[in-house]
Amino acid sequence: MPDHTFVHKPALAGVRYGSFGNKTAEGSGIRLQACSESCLLHVVGAPDCGDLGSILTTNPAYSVRIAGPIQWFIVSEEPITEDAIRTLEIRLGERAAISDQTHGRIRIGLSGSFASHVLAKGTAIDLNASQFPVGRSAMTLIGHITVNLARIGHDAFELIVLRGFAESLWDDLIHMSLEYGVDCIPAQQDKKQNQPSMA
Amino acid sequence: MTSYRLSKGGLIDRTRSLSFKFDDKQLTGFSGDTLASALLANGCQLVGRSFKYHRPRGILTAGSAEPNALVTVGADGRTEANTRATMIELCDGLIAKSQNRWPSLEFDIGSINSLLSPFLGAGFYYKTFMWPAAFWEQVYEPLIRKAAGLGRASYEADPDYHEKCWAHCDILVVGAGPAGLAASLTAGRAGARVILADEGFELGGALLRETESIAGNPTNEFRKNIIAELADLPNVTLLPRTTVFGWYDDNVFGAVERVQPHISQPDPYRPVEKLWRIIARETILATGAEERPLVFGGNDIPGVMLASATRSYLNRHAIAPGQRTVIFTTNRSGYKAAADLEAAGLEVAAIIDPRAAGQDTWTGKARVIHQAVVRDAHGGKNLTGVTIEANGQAEHITADALAMSGGWSPVIHLACHRGAKPVWSEEKAAFLAPQNLQGLRIAGAATGMELTEACLGDGSIQACKSLKILGFKKIDPAFTPIEETGYRVHTLWQVRNSKQKAFVDFQNDVDAKDIELAVREGYGHVELTKRYTTNGMATDQGKLSNINAIGILAQTRGVSPAEVQTTTFRPFYTPVSFGALTGHAKGRNFQPVRKSPLHDWAKKNGATFVETGLWYRSAWFPRKGETGWRESVDREVRTVRTHAGICDVSTLGKIEIFGKDAAEFLNRVYCNAFLKLPVGRARYGVMLREDGMIYDDGTTSRLSDNHYFMTTTTALAAGVMTHLEFCVQALWPDLDVRLASSTDQWAQMAIAGPRSRDILQTLVDLDLSDAAFPFMSAKPVTLLGGQISARLFRISFSGELAYELAVPAGFGESVADAMMDAGKAYGICPYGTEALGVMRIEKGHVTHAEINGTVTPYDLGLGKMVSATKPDFIGKAMLSREGLNTADRGQLVGIKPLDKTKSFRTGSHILSKGAAATLENDQGYITSSVFSPTLGHMIGLALVKNGSERIGENVTIWNALIHEYTEAVLCQPVFVDPENRKLHA
Repeated sequence: MPDHTFVHKPALAGVRYGSFGNKTAEGSGIRLQACSESCLLHVVGAPDCGDLGSILTTNPAYSVRIAGPIQWFIVSEEPITEDAIRTLEIRLGERAAISDQTHGRIRIGLSGSFASHVLAKGTAIDLNASQFPVGRSAMTLIGHITVNLARIGHDAFELIVLRGFAESLWDDLIHMSLEYGVDCIPAQQDKKQNQPSMA
Repeated sequence: MTSYRLSKGGLIDRTRSLSFKFDDKQLTGFSGDTLASALLANGCQLVGRSFKYHRPRGILTAGSAEPNALVTVGADGRTEANTRATMIELCDGLIAKSQNRWPSLEFDIGSINSLLSPFLGAGFYYKTFMWPAAFWEQVYEPLIRKAAGLGRASYEADPDYHEKCWAHCDILVVGAGPAGLAASLTAGRAGARVILADEGFELGGALLRETESIAGNPTNEFRKNIIAELADLPNVTLLPRTTVFGWYDDNVFGAVERVQPHISQPDPYRPVEKLWRIIARETILATGAEERPLVFGGNDIPGVMLASATRSYLNRHAIAPGQRTVIFTTNRSGYKAAADLEAAGLEVAAIIDPRAAGQDTWTGKARVIHQAVVRDAHGGKNLTGVTIEANGQAEHITADALAMSGGWSPVIHLACHRGAKPVWSEEKAAFLAPQNLQGLRIAGAATGMELTEACLGDGSIQACKSLKILGFKKIDPAFTPIEETGYRVHTLWQVRNSKQKAFVDFQNDVDAKDIELAVREGYGHVELTKRYTTNGMATDQGKLSNINAIGILAQTRGVSPAEVQTTTFRPFYTPVSFGALTGHAKGRNFQPVRKSPLHDWAKKNGATFVETGLWYRSAWFPRKGETGWRESVDREVRTVRTHAGICDVSTLGKIEIFGKDAAEFLNRVYCNAFLKLPVGRARYGVMLREDGMIYDDGTTSRLSDNHYFMTTTTALAAGVMTHLEFCVQALWPDLDVRLASSTDQWAQMAIAGPRSRDILQTLVDLDLSDAAFPFMSAKPVTLLGGQISARLFRISFSGELAYELAVPAGFGESVADAMMDAGKAYGICPYGTEALGVMRIEKGHVTHAEINGTVTPYDLGLGKMVSATKPDFIGKAMLSREGLNTADRGQLVGIKPLDKTKSFRTGSHILSKGAAATLENDQGYITSSVFSPTLGHMIGLALVKNGSERIGENVTIWNALIHEYTEAVLCQPVFVDPENRKLHA
């Protein structure tokens, strides 16, 4: 047993990949991208924590999403070491606690010129760029599934979903995209593999 | 003669011929036709049979209020019944069938009802089929239902799909007639986000039937120019084929878009219908007005049509209604129809106007007969003529078409969906929407206006008002408002002395006499009249009939329509398919699937899954040669009890609790003490509701001074999280406590059985000896030399030496594989929720079968856990209520059959030995039962009155559903290892 190596299995390992639905001369109108499960931290503020933005955004590699009142998700394409998490915890002090949700919440990218049309089939958020500009995020529902939705580009969004619902959401997003055509792309080599996770 | 297509004119595209079928007859139409116009073009005026009397019916309208021309379109799974031919966009390959006729539309046996019609008035069934009472459900109602009716739904699954979506806008404009187009243009030019929705497939509303020029342009060119400008504005969304069907709270509107027409093979990648939920900051209702039919004898004979419909078919679809048309009108509408017919070279036999001369200018050829009415129309399946009455003299006029207009009823349904009551206007002879509806303005004909220019101006002005409220600066009305004058209204609710039935509600076969009868019999209130006569029911909801019925009611009761009032307006404005309301959520998409991180591990180990809420849990793991689930489960239980087993418990709710007051918080939410739980230890906790009943249970571990980890049952994971959030935010905001759900972060597996420690020790870096890691330990650990950080808990649901190992979810399958490899030498097997259930009952552990919302800790033998010293905890006050401490409450006991070969079932009741099987003698019931492979017989848990004092008592288990009686004995609820030696091994 000592020579056994644990292998990380992405939540979206078993879903459908490839192209589905209608196609135009330019190809599919939607790109559905499984994201790497590299790092996702849930930051829960104390009631009087104030604005933690300046602390949470210290590292330019961190993308901060609003996860509810005084709650945030920190997302990073690169794994965050336990030391980095400890450093962040120290800086936050009693103002917030951190729960590592790297495995618990899965990111899915959805982009393309019809991206907001597809998402409007699921969410009640007004996705007009004037109301939901790049950088904005919110908790919402896509159909029956709770997600954190962030606009990361004019026609690019990222959805964060509980791991258990990731396959179901993936299927729903394909279905919602069929009229525009959708290319479903697996994540790149998962950088989280064999990285120790915070307990 | 019948209706026919003119050789020129109309807005149809004659270069695109479309072929379709009606009642198996192959016909053709043109692009731009509706099914109704295509049928008329082919001379098909008889399109359906009426609901009750099976009278021949034709096409009455050119819009969504159509009560007669209901057809079934499509075939097989795509069958759609009761579809209005007037709203169906003609497409190549369309299949339509008439309804409610047998054997054919032309020859319908059911039309015998028409001969019996003098006896079949309102209330006939209720009065006649009263005896014997039992016959109503068995005989009368099935027969009546068979005779009456509309279309039949298909039992085949719909192969197509529907979707739902959300939309947001500054201004929603409902209706794309002159007022709606003007409002959209004004708002669109100002830069507002506009959605313009219209139920027609061609935008333009009433403009589509107009021929006069507007602002110097022909109407059609004018309409097209506006639509082209709107289409070019990026801030304007045009939604043709979209019916806004309801106005809901917070200015949310429901709408349904017919995305694909009724073709035999729709695009498989697009929905056939889309349900929109539109959130509008402001709304302009430009829904126009519905023309009222006139109530005279034979007004339902095919060939009789509304004047506006006659104009619509003539001007839009180039259809002549017949060779010779008679006009019956109380207002300008009939004169416009007459003018258009004559302009198209068609003969108008006469204009019958009940008003005195001098009201409307007429320069055409047709004879105008003032102060006259059409008393009766004649014909069977086609109109042949009318009898008019003028100055007491009857005159027969030969005609094969009749265009009628009894005035206009503004379409104000949406404005009244949220409780507002319509207001009667004597001046307009119409019900209008009340003023000052928040967020909603009415424009154009929906306010009672008539002239196109006035509607254009009003739409513009209403849009300006909305734009101002929304803070727009550049506000410029697209059209100048004009004062409308000369609108003369004459009401004629019914023609007296008709020889034939004069229909008020065409769809429900309600005639004027039915309304009068309702008043005579005490059902004169408008809501009662509706129920007594069925006027205003069914698919058209009285769009054409309600106002006439109110007028006749008012006349009969001798009051004003203002006093009669209307029935209640409710969504939906027009019928909405179940498919649209269901959307994507059907079949396997009915609810999302939630998968454990160990799902694939369980699958490759042969698991049979069971749906538990949204989760798919592994229930048991059958092996080759095992013939049923019991055999597999028994084997799993025996293996765990003698060797070891591994079970996926990832679905348990998991909550991280942080903060320096977390201990105090837990001390308040659990009824047992948590303040002094040391770091590295877990404790079983019981959570009560305020009423003292148990809400949920689980273990909570202290991982560090200010960090706890709570587990909940699978079923109440979300509920407990919500409960805790409420406690933190509302009850004790002064406590420093923060919560984070981590259910999906961890793949959690139970490793149970006497060899579990040996197996785990091969993977876990920590010393797991009983001394180093005793029962109820809880610690962070690493696996295989620090490869993975995990959490290990020495807790047991099975009663065995057992652990729960939580690893980051992405590594779950790999760790479970390693556990299986390591356990092979120790005889490990995977086990599922069934074996889990068996073992917990053997050990007397409770779950929600016992924690059913009516039990206290005392009832379940957990009374000793309830802290007597804590100053407070949720449920404490109510727990001391007298009724919760009486001896005759159900208390948890074990139960087993006296004859070990006998069985019993959960839900069966307990009787004292020898007592009669009555509910009065009921002593309690079985909450859980199972065959115990460890003991070799059935065992159960039960809630029995004063049960803890009755251990050893012989009782009878009574299953009243199958009349089964089993002699049994009450026993302690712990069947296996009551001394807990295994737990502490």
